[in-house]
Amino acid sequence: MWSVLKSRSFSSSPATQQWKLGLSMLNRSLSFSSSATSEGADEGIRSGELLKLEEVETILRDVKADNVKVFPIPKHCDFADFMVVATGRSAWHVRNISQALIYKVKQKQKGSKRMLLPSVEGQEAGNWIVIDSGKVVIHALDEKVRAYYNLEKLWSTYASNQDHSVGQGQDLDKAFVKVRPKNNSKKRPSTTV
Amino acid sequence: MIQPQTHLNVADNSGARELMCIRIIGASNRRYAHIGDVIVAVIKEAVPNMPLERSEVVRAVIVRTCKELKRDNGMIIRYDDNAAVVIDQEGNPKGTRIFGAIARELRELNFTKIVSLAPEVL
Repeated sequence: MWSVLKSRSFSSSPATQQWKLGLSMLNRSLSFSSSATSEGADEGIRSGELLKLEEVETILRDVKADNVKVFPIPKHCDFADFMVVATGRSAWHVRNISQALIYKVKQKQKGSKRMLLPSVEGQEAGNWIVIDSGKVVIHALDEKVRAYYNLEKLWSTYASNQDHSVGQGQDLDKAFVKVRPKNNSKKRPSTTV
Repeated sequence: MIQPQTHLNVADNSGARELMCIRIIGASNRRYAHIGDVIVAVIKEAVPNMPLERSEVVRAVIVRTCKELKRDNGMIIRYDDNAAVVIDQEGNPKGTRIFGAIARELRELNFTKIVSLAPEVL
């Protein structure tokens, strides 16, 4: 799990941001030495967990991300523990969601000599940003992109395959109830007749 | 070991069926590409009525190779075929689903999007 995390200090130039595999061992040893000096929140960080699930949820609520869903990742592809999917209203909003999460990681590690930052993918385009913080993988997507890739369907079928023996009748009842996705948008829906 | 003129299978539902590598992106004079490398490829065979067509030039990430992949812990992974996933310039996959097993090295190389669409991660 360590190798996933990008380790760089604030002062480093963007050129060093491009992280090479060969450096991972070096970074690892350095970050161990620094995190040994401070305690508390570092416990989780040392075990490769930059953000806890509850923290992610509160941040996503604060930045008003729509339609947040959490999926446990099944055993046969355990690259992380949880996957969080959230919708942003625009590219700006999606980028804001990712910035808020990175800010939280930085706040948590304030004071330590060397910071571990999550790897962020798709920051420039802003329609699908993945923040890989070790145990929790957060996807911030545009509405269109979310509908296109349909991550919910992919991951919820895995989850249902896992425990379909438990309470199948209840699931069937729920399946027929129409659920509207929650929309915090202040924008009025376009009234086309 | 993927080099120009190597034919690869496509491991997603983008509409391409077979690719041919024409260039490896990265260094200027690189000979072979391995798992997690980005290549430029041309579509040799495509599914009809899909957005991608034959003889189109695309970018792709290699996800499976016949040449074995060694890990630090001594594990060796070798697949039966050479396969790639079609991506666009920003790194988003063109297809929405990925087939077959994927190595977890792709996550470390910042292809988390591909990994999160895959059914199985080795």
